[in-house]
Amino acid sequence: MSAGSNERGITIDDKTLHAYVDGQLDAARRAEVEAWLAAHPERAAEIDHWQRQNAALKTMYDPVLNEPVPSRLDPHRMAATLARPRWNWSQLAAAAVVLLFLGLGGGWLLRTATWQEPPASDRLIDGAVTAHALYVKESRHAVEVGADDKAHLVTWLSNRLGRQIDAPDLATQGFSLVGGRLLPPLAETGTGPAAQLMYQNATSDRLTVYITAATKPVGRPFETYAEAGLEAYYWADAQITCTVVGDLPKTEMQTLAKGVYEQLTWRPDPPARS
Amino acid sequence: MSDFLDEVEAAVPALRRYARALTRDADRADDLVQDAIERAIRKRALWRPTGPLQAWLFRILLNIYRNDMRGQRRRGDHVALDTPGAEPATPAPQHGHLALAEVGRALDQLPQDQREALLLVAVEGASYADAAGILGIPAGTLMSRLGRARAALRTLTGTADEPRLRTVK
Repeated sequence: MSAGSNERGITIDDKTLHAYVDGQLDAARRAEVEAWLAAHPERAAEIDHWQRQNAALKTMYDPVLNEPVPSRLDPHRMAATLARPRWNWSQLAAAAVVLLFLGLGGGWLLRTATWQEPPASDRLIDGAVTAHALYVKESRHAVEVGADDKAHLVTWLSNRLGRQIDAPDLATQGFSLVGGRLLPPLAETGTGPAAQLMYQNATSDRLTVYITAATKPVGRPFETYAEAGLEAYYWADAQITCTVVGDLPKTEMQTLAKGVYEQLTWRPDPPARS
Repeated sequence: MSDFLDEVEAAVPALRRYARALTRDADRADDLVQDAIERAIRKRALWRPTGPLQAWLFRILLNIYRNDMRGQRRRGDHVALDTPGAEPATPAPQHGHLALAEVGRALDQLPQDQREALLLVAVEGASYADAAGILGIPAGTLMSRLGRARAALRTLTGTADEPRLRTVK
């Protein structure tokens, strides 16, 4: 009795029964269906169950409508965030300059297909800047493991990060490794602990390199940050995130960041070489 | 632009509700909605103001969801339930209400295409024409998915002879 007719020969098909359950019939048609159901109890029991399914589903999921919407789902805010790298031409030009100095091909911007909201990268930059400010002031306790034990330092930090990292050689820029330390994970970044490497030049200017395992998803491929004379350069790929922090003049910071980038960042698709 | 964003914003609660019902995971649902909004904002030039924005947003969300599911096809995701009666029915709950947890579990067992269709109609209250348009399927296909989904849910959540439920709007 999947479709039938009542005494007056009115046909009630499945589509009409669904429409009845979903409230998509006008009053006259609804009355016809009800009369028909009264005469077809087995079908009526089935339709009744469909109605209870609908009621249960509404009960389960309608409350979502009354939940406060998290700010990360605010389209106005997202549009403002998205506009930064994608649509604001002056920003895009600035980004192009950064890309150039980082010595990258144009594929970089396109490779990271999804743009995440700032959280992870912003937090990591904050973490890197905070750690920099805290430890560069130290003279005797600037690092946990000194450069004289570099092999151990690199192995230890690589193990804790779960990523094979090396301490970049910045001798050509006049900086030598002081040493490094392990720092606790930052909330809501999902990257695990961070490694901080510290460098110093002949005039005791210090530079720190803050490295974590990659965020998931990778998020923004790069960010720059400047405040109160401190500059930070952040980038991320599928392997790591790295933030270079220092208070040197901008051009020197860029040269240093470029040096770190070239030595540290794994390229998922390295240029073919024979 | 800000009209567009206002309209997107107005659709967010419904998108969240649908995503929550689809994924049954609050965080994953919001990730899905976030991706959909981002994509909509980036593609807004492609949207023709003649069509309803909300339907377009649902379509985007579904595309992302389907891609996700293709990417991470989990075991147990596609239990074939096209034949009602294939699964043992659990005892009926009291008072004519379906046990919500049971309905949730049954929902998990529906094939993805049936779940998408049923939730769009039953939870979002989409008209059949709108639902077919959002899912990108002919009206007849929508009705058969709806039929199979409801039959499967009935099999999974209990028996037929229960007192009638008060109508819940």
